[in-house]
Amino acid sequence: MTTETQGWHADPALLSSYLAGDLDAVTGASVEQHVSRCETCRAAVGHLLGPQLVERTWAGIRDAVERPPLPYPLRLARRLGLSEPTAVLLASAASLRGAWLVGAFLSLSFATLAAYASGGTTLAPFLLVAPLAPVLGVAAAYGPRQDPLEALIVTAPYGRTRLILVRTLAVLVSVLPVTVLLGLAVPGPPWIAAAWLGPALALVPVLLALAVFVGPRLAAAVVSFVWAGVVLNSLRGSIGPTWPVEAAQQGVYLAAAGAACIVIAIRAGTDRQPGVAL
Amino acid sequence: MTTIELSAVGKTYGRTHALADVDLTFDRGVTGLLGPNGAGKTTLLRIVATSIAADSGEVRLLGRDPHRSHADVTAVRRELGYLPQELGYPSDMTAFGFIEYVAVLKEWNDRERRSQEVRRALEAVGLADQATVRISRLSGGQRRRVGLAQALLGDPQLVVLDEPTTGLDPAQRADLRRTLSTLGHRSTVLLSTHQTEDVAALCERVVVLAGGTVRFDGAVTDLVATAVGRVWLADEPGDDALISWRTGTGRHHVVGGTPPAGADPTEPTLEDAYLLMLGPDAERVHSPS
Repeated sequence: MTTETQGWHADPALLSSYLAGDLDAVTGASVEQHVSRCETCRAAVGHLLGPQLVERTWAGIRDAVERPPLPYPLRLARRLGLSEPTAVLLASAASLRGAWLVGAFLSLSFATLAAYASGGTTLAPFLLVAPLAPVLGVAAAYGPRQDPLEALIVTAPYGRTRLILVRTLAVLVSVLPVTVLLGLAVPGPPWIAAAWLGPALALVPVLLALAVFVGPRLAAAVVSFVWAGVVLNSLRGSIGPTWPVEAAQQGVYLAAAGAACIVIAIRAGTDRQPGVAL
Repeated sequence: MTTIELSAVGKTYGRTHALADVDLTFDRGVTGLLGPNGAGKTTLLRIVATSIAADSGEVRLLGRDPHRSHADVTAVRRELGYLPQELGYPSDMTAFGFIEYVAVLKEWNDRERRSQEVRRALEAVGLADQATVRISRLSGGQRRRVGLAQALLGDPQLVVLDEPTTGLDPAQRADLRRTLSTLGHRSTVLLSTHQTEDVAALCERVVVLAGGTVRFDGAVTDLVATAVGRVWLADEPGDDALISWRTGTGRHHVVGGTPPAGADPTEPTLEDAYLLMLGPDAERVHSPS
């Protein structure tokens, strides 16, 4: 393969054009074919290559080998304009990886099916799972106090609060559209497909505010327990299945979310730990 | 230029005084914090690393007060490399992936420059050929070096290392010594340990902490000098010695107290001096930095 079989050699000008990518497709392919077989021309190419180009190419190869690939959802998000450094940060959050998203999708699907199978008499399975999916996703992506990297995250210039908020947004963006679509398949009044967004969006700041004091895991457990209580309450005969997402209750969720935001803001202003809000 | 200034710094946890009225200043160079467990070493390092706030006193890092504003603390953190005492490593990340993650937290936003810096840090700790290995497959010493590599990202002006030598074998300690001596030319390196040989090998200056207070602050040789004339080799263990032990030659190494009959004075080691410093008869020494 590497022995010289031809008497002809490419002249330096031709090789330079080849390296610069100036040749047309046919001539380029022909020169490449020749160089791959001709040791003399390969050596000549080596002399013509600038050290910078070699270094850049080598760095690119090392990058491809050493840099861990981004999970699929994040590669998709990169195409949609997510910045590369943010993608690297999000990649370390368990709830933004494919497996977690598939899990969330499956549990939502089953909940939707259960509501569908009941013919609309009970919405409880869907109303139980739909608002909790983003809450649990945020809790898993939080960067908990027991996070092994906590000590580093706290002292990094990027900022812990910013990291938590970026991850929270990412979880909401990745979970909410699927849940909205599944909500359309739920039998019952059409506004149900959007109404669960109220508790879903309210429970996230409540979780973040609680997590400040008790950590994200316990906070997620408390939020889930309370929300399950609200949904189970709707199973009582005297109350309709849509009770948890009716206007009066939505007002309560909004108030809870507002209180949670105030707690976070006060915490940001008074915490003596330098520069940390959440 | 003084890079770290601590004036009357105190920190309490419940009723425990982790630090009490500590006054210390640091400049470029490598300083070792030596002290028994609970001496306040980690608390001091966490305050310097902006991980926790002091309860009292004044802290100035690189000429700034980290509690004054978000901008001040962020400016300090941009020049900080910190290896916490206990750093859990996400086991599913590779060495490269982990350092890259920390590099993004340290605002290395340009992908190409970030890759180069991650490689430089891994090379500095001798792990360039382990870049693609998952952290769960690395040995304890290698993990500690991964932790060290992230602290070296960007050649920070403040390098705070909490027990960096844990889990390192003698050859790796020698490597660390080389890395730190280069770093000490342009940065302030503060490291904690409870092993005197680390201080002797790695540091120019030593601060002995005990019970949250500074017992000694000065050159390593000056600490050793405080024990001259107080260490002997004798056939008997001293009656009132601070500590004594039988050596390989069969004689007793006697530290402190009155010399037993037939005792020969011997050259004190840093460990002798450190023990004397901590012992009940150790004088509280304040030396200018």
